[in-house]
Amino acid sequence: MGTANAAVELRGITKRFPGVVANHDIDITVRSGTVHALMGENGAGKSTLMKILYGMQRPDEGTIAVNGEQVEFSTPGDAIARGIGMVHQHFMLADNFTVLENVVLGGESLYGIGARAKAKIKEISDQYGLNVRPDALVEDLGVAERQRVEILKVLYRGARILILDEPTAVLVPQEVDALFGNLRELKSEGVTVIFISHKLHEVLSVADAITVIRRGTTVGDADPKKVTARELAELMVGSELPSPQSRESTVTDVEMLKVDALRIAKRDAEGIERVVLDDISLTIRKGEILGIAGVEGNGQAELVEAIMGMLPLDSGTVTLDGTDVSRELTRARREAGIGYIPEDRHRHGLLLEAPLWENRILGHVTEAPNSKGFRLDPAAARQDTLRIVQEYDVRTPGIEVTAASLSGGNQQKLIIGREMSHKPKLLIAAHPTRGVDVGAQAQIWEQIRSAQREGLAVLLISADLDELIGLSDAIRVIYRGKLVADADPATVTAEDLGTAMTGAARGHIESDEDALAEAAVIVAEDLGRSDTPPSDAQPSDTPLGDTDTTDTAADDAQAGE
Amino acid sequence: MTTTQPAAKRGFLQRIDRERLILGLAAPVLAVVISVLICSVLLLTSGKNPIDAFHIMTNYASASDGQVSILNKATTYYLAGVAVAFGFRMNLFNIGADGQYRLAALFAAYVGGVVNLPSFIEIPLLLIVAMLVGGLWAAIAGILKVTRGVSEVISTIMLNAITTGVIGVLLVPGIFAPGNAGGVSNSVQTKLMAPSSDFFSITTQGGSLYGFIIIAVIVGVAFQLVLSRTRFGFDLRATGRSESAAGASGVNVKRMVLTSMCVSGALAGLIGMPDLLTNSHYFGQNFQPGLGFTGIAIALLGRNTPIGIGFAALLWAFLDATAVMLPLQGNFPPEIVNVMQGTIVICVVVAYELVRRYGLKRQQQKVGAQLAAQAASAEKKEVAA
Amino acid sequence: MRRTVKLAAVVLSGSLGIASLAACGAKSTDTTSAGSSGGSGIKVGMAYDVGGRGDQGFNDSAAAGLDKAKTDFGIQTTEAEAKTGEADSDKQTRLETLVTAGYNPIIAVGFVYQAAVEKVAKEHPNTKFAIIDSDSPTQPSNVTSLEFTEQQSSYLAGIAAASKTKTKHVGFIGGVQSELIKKFEAGYRAGVASVDSSISVDVTYLTTPPDFSGFSDPAKGKEAAQGQLDKNDDVIYAAAGASGTGAIQAVASKPGAWVIGVDTDQAKQPALAKYQGSILTSALKNVNTAVYAYIQSVKNNAPLTGVQRFDLKSGGVGLATTGGHIDDLKAKLDAATQQITSGAITVPTAPTGG
Repeated sequence: MGTANAAVELRGITKRFPGVVANHDIDITVRSGTVHALMGENGAGKSTLMKILYGMQRPDEGTIAVNGEQVEFSTPGDAIARGIGMVHQHFMLADNFTVLENVVLGGESLYGIGARAKAKIKEISDQYGLNVRPDALVEDLGVAERQRVEILKVLYRGARILILDEPTAVLVPQEVDALFGNLRELKSEGVTVIFISHKLHEVLSVADAITVIRRGTTVGDADPKKVTARELAELMVGSELPSPQSRESTVTDVEMLKVDALRIAKRDAEGIERVVLDDISLTIRKGEILGIAGVEGNGQAELVEAIMGMLPLDSGTVTLDGTDVSRELTRARREAGIGYIPEDRHRHGLLLEAPLWENRILGHVTEAPNSKGFRLDPAAARQDTLRIVQEYDVRTPGIEVTAASLSGGNQQKLIIGREMSHKPKLLIAAHPTRGVDVGAQAQIWEQIRSAQREGLAVLLISADLDELIGLSDAIRVIYRGKLVADADPATVTAEDLGTAMTGAARGHIESDEDALAEAAVIVAEDLGRSDTPPSDAQPSDTPLGDTDTTDTAADDAQAGE
Repeated sequence: MTTTQPAAKRGFLQRIDRERLILGLAAPVLAVVISVLICSVLLLTSGKNPIDAFHIMTNYASASDGQVSILNKATTYYLAGVAVAFGFRMNLFNIGADGQYRLAALFAAYVGGVVNLPSFIEIPLLLIVAMLVGGLWAAIAGILKVTRGVSEVISTIMLNAITTGVIGVLLVPGIFAPGNAGGVSNSVQTKLMAPSSDFFSITTQGGSLYGFIIIAVIVGVAFQLVLSRTRFGFDLRATGRSESAAGASGVNVKRMVLTSMCVSGALAGLIGMPDLLTNSHYFGQNFQPGLGFTGIAIALLGRNTPIGIGFAALLWAFLDATAVMLPLQGNFPPEIVNVMQGTIVICVVVAYELVRRYGLKRQQQKVGAQLAAQAASAEKKEVAA
Repeated sequence: MRRTVKLAAVVLSGSLGIASLAACGAKSTDTTSAGSSGGSGIKVGMAYDVGGRGDQGFNDSAAAGLDKAKTDFGIQTTEAEAKTGEADSDKQTRLETLVTAGYNPIIAVGFVYQAAVEKVAKEHPNTKFAIIDSDSPTQPSNVTSLEFTEQQSSYLAGIAAASKTKTKHVGFIGGVQSELIKKFEAGYRAGVASVDSSISVDVTYLTTPPDFSGFSDPAKGKEAAQGQLDKNDDVIYAAAGASGTGAIQAVASKPGAWVIGVDTDQAKQPALAKYQGSILTSALKNVNTAVYAYIQSVKNNAPLTGVQRFDLKSGGVGLATTGGHIDDLKAKLDAATQQITSGAITVPTAPTGG
């Protein structure tokens, strides 16, 4: 494996759960001082493998060697002692603490908690170009900065091997570039990075080596300099991918949702009034997908909550299918035909500790088949949950398991199935594919598209610009509570959209032709715009992408049935 | 994929996870064992034989009068537990059940003394009065929470203290107590209630058993039915599990808070009724206080489920009823029962939380494993094909 | 969930099943009730209120009477005390257990037992019961009420207070505003007025029922006494149980002021002995005398029945003379005692105006 020594060597790792094999015969060699990407669907065994490497689980067979030395980890502490650190997808920082306090928390014995610790943090920050301010309050930091704090936290504890779990999921393109800059800096300082991702173009741009995992085992290594996105996707999915097809517009001229002059102001902790939504007006027609682009925290969440009736309006109206629903409560709006795929499904979309069939009732308790009059109809709800599980390919051993035990993608599929089961007129999809594995991702897109075909109006909010461009019929950019720009997805690139999201561009955005042509290829590859129903259960029509898009076609196939 | 099986038609016993059932039972059993051990140590250090003490308790519990006493107490405790549990099911901590039931009992006793109607009207009237008073008293805390964001824990604790004051103001000769106090005594009490207000009791060899136990059963069944079979119950449980998710799903959380606070208070209003309608027939200063707090302990122990609360109420009643025998038959301090109850609650709360977390993790693992198994078998088929 | 509901119903109605079982089982006392009614000595059962033996007050005083009877008559005794926050049915069980264990008579200490005594006494007409400080028109004939004419001792305390005051302002602190404590107030007011009707009486009650903390909160007593001292009261009668100790402390800190204790001779209590110089006297309520007299009457086969009032004449109430502070008033007090016992003066039992 090249000239450099192996930082991590996994040989023949096998992990069995009672009666099942989660990982088998996994072989990975990560060279020291490289960025090594680990790719594969969620459920492919990636997370189990990382848990084994980080000492959270013990393998049944196989060996782990770190820097050439055979090791056995029984706790994450053992892994940390060996210089392995993990940056989780969900940050583990205390908001009301400073960066310094967060970093030393739990590592007080290393450099104390005072000047020495601060000096060390500065040193690490400068060394790797992390640009972290030790005295800043974490709650004042943006997502990207918090991520750097997490990385610093791990380095502070002496890690020389970093595991990054889906680090780009929460970042905008500019931030992704910055992160990759940091990773290259780390690499040049001799730090080894294991990078978990399913975004093909990211992996291709930053990784020095790629290992693909499918169905619990390693299916191959790839050299990013030689492999194409398409080949990589095929490796992940295990078969050849079909070519994408273009799609016809389904937009009609019947207005379904009309939001007029919406304004919401909130009082913050100091009692100062902050306008979170300012004079928002938009219209979505039947069969149209309107995408809202924006850096998180610019009012997207409030816009959704205002339409859902969860936030009281200061002024403005919300009209659904010709009826003013501004004064209606959330339940009435849902009954009137709003389907809702919330941004944070754990907080707003699911009862995590309740069984699936109860989650199927959530949000639609007043509607058939969930209830008859005031009486709940659990039998009918169960039956219908079975239907959703099958139609939407929710992978679960049954409908009595809790929602918490499903993977993110399957949770999301259940939510979509539930919302679509009530024939909505308007579907609000907020970050529908966030934290969802690739297999489910394409299915979810397909489901949104089929909703569109059925004549729904869709409000799509996403931080994933390729997703926005690929799905939307029109895009509006939200910045500091205002809709500041609009764009035609056919004539805009993610880069230009990203610029508008920072407030630097206003009005109608159009990218120049060359960039567009280039981007169109990627986007088209990304989001296979296939409208033809899949013909069999085997991989056939799955889109392929270098962004978020790769997928197992089997999923897609079942979803379409 | 197992989802293709008609899971909805599978029997109840298959649906409940046997492992989780055992885990669930382990917690309270362990808690009881630990508390028995702690009490034994306490008794030993004070030079008394713990086995004798437990012998006295079990002896009394196996006798007919002991059993009647236990069941009578359990009836009251059950109502207290259900009242509190109703709030708990949606994460509302009605600490104020204590005030609610005392005030309710006072008003019911007063009305019972003033109004004399045939039993079939009188008794429902009194129950309604009690539930109304309890519900309205609880509504104060509900309104404060909904409009001003006052934590119901704080407001209900304060309302408990206010209740004592209110009873003090009302229960004086000329208002709720007869103007011309009969005998000379420290005791001030309401007029004896009309004979028609007497709730029937079952005469057994061990004494008279409160007929009110039937009401307790009805309340328990209704509690279960409302929670599991109505839209309202679903909204309530959803709010309890995740207020944010419930809000997004269309539950009017504020109205839900107010409603369940009122229902919890109304149920609390029933707590004092078994004693009032079958035993004392007046509200006086010897009216038993503190049942609201007993209700909290029982709801915790019973995990807010009707059946669990039933067992918890029986356990509590067993401890309290047999405690009376300890000083009389062996010169044991009855306070060891308080120690036992306290340790049971602490242990059980800790144990339930541990079991809950373990169970959740376990299920996630199992689901993962099952899915992996499915995938593996699918792959095999593929290969074969 | 239908099955869950069914299961719930089954389990809950199962409790009714246990009830019918209960009817078949043996009673707990079937084996222990030796029915020793014919035994040589009498067996006295004593049921205390919360606090029981060792509470330095009411229960202790009753216990003293029991102890004296035990040594004098060689009787057998058993005692049990109430638990805080227990149900009335627990009191019934307690009495019930004493009955079936053959105890007769059974003495219940405190009005809280009234309902329980009445109920159990009706079921066991052959057992004699006594209850202290309480009676009711509906109690059966086997219940004897042992009561005290606290207004008489309070009257004497009023005379002492009126004779000692220099400011013409005296105070009264009642623990709980109940009928019983109002008797104290009425007697005290009448006593003060009999000496000099121009003397004003300040009245403070610490709590109102059902809040009985006024009997057990020295801090409240201290605060109330301080308030009255500030209003220039120089003799304060504290009829407030354990709260009185707070009042005694407060008064003792002001030279020239007097405090009058209650129930027992408080100047003799070890904890309060250091304030002896400020404790003018104590209005005694000799529960021990009553308990002893009752047991004696049973022993002599001539049990006291009905409502028995222990008064000045019988020594049930009186004034303590510890410290000799009221020795100079002896003539005045003796005259008043004479008038009361002869019936020339009837001390009111309810305060009039104020």
